[in-house]
Amino acid sequence: MENYIKVHEIERNDIGNAGTVASLTKRELKKRGFSREFVKTITIGVYEAEINVVIHSYGGKATVEINDEIITITFEDVGPGIENIDNAMTEGFSTASKYAIENGFGAGMGLPNIKSVADEMSLESSKEGTTLIIKFHVKEDSYL
Amino acid sequence: MKIKDLLENNHFTLINDGVVDAEINNVFASDLLSHVMGFANEDDCLITVLNNINVLGVASLLDFSGVIFSHGIKVNQAVIDKANELDIPLLSTKLTTAETVVMIHELGNNN
Repeated sequence: MENYIKVHEIERNDIGNAGTVASLTKRELKKRGFSREFVKTITIGVYEAEINVVIHSYGGKATVEINDEIITITFEDVGPGIENIDNAMTEGFSTASKYAIENGFGAGMGLPNIKSVADEMSLESSKEGTTLIIKFHVKEDSYL
Repeated sequence: MKIKDLLENNHFTLINDGVVDAEINNVFASDLLSHVMGFANEDDCLITVLNNINVLGVASLLDFSGVIFSHGIKVNQAVIDKANELDIPLLSTKLTTAETVVMIHELGNNN
């Protein structure tokens, strides 16, 4: 199938639309005949990363790239950055705001969940912003 | 067991227009969406008191068979509207979350 590239803007604290990137990506993956399990794995990673941008950053974007070999999703935001990446990667550690927690987020499971589903993950952060790249390899059993 | 089988029990009420034919694979109870996202499975029925539309986002992404709001909480209209849009059945019960899990387990054994 043709390569797919889609860029989504993600707004700060826009909790009402959080999940849109995950939902549209899921739809595209299903259309391409990937298995439910593979689609679910990617959907979890995209959703968690999308929520992170919504609740922790000043806004950003997600670029979704799908081809026959690999699915790459790049999240770039404009700050304030992750103060301590080791802490952020620890299950249960959270810096989420009261607003995020009231909306069901902030369990401290976002990055750990992403790490557990992605085949590759790279995370760079400074006060100017954070870039998270997650990759999923297409294998024989990734299809229905 | 299907969602509609739960509705035959007077502890559960359907509070939206969702389709009730969906099969319940299992139940998952949590009020933290990342736990739901990380550990729940397809066709699970979610039991929660988390009264906001993000619950529906997660329910849709994971293809849940339905969402049950426990403790008799009054569900926001925005949540009901979103569930109608996504065609996800919403149920309400006055039981606690733990009692709901036990009740569904018992009903499941009898079905």
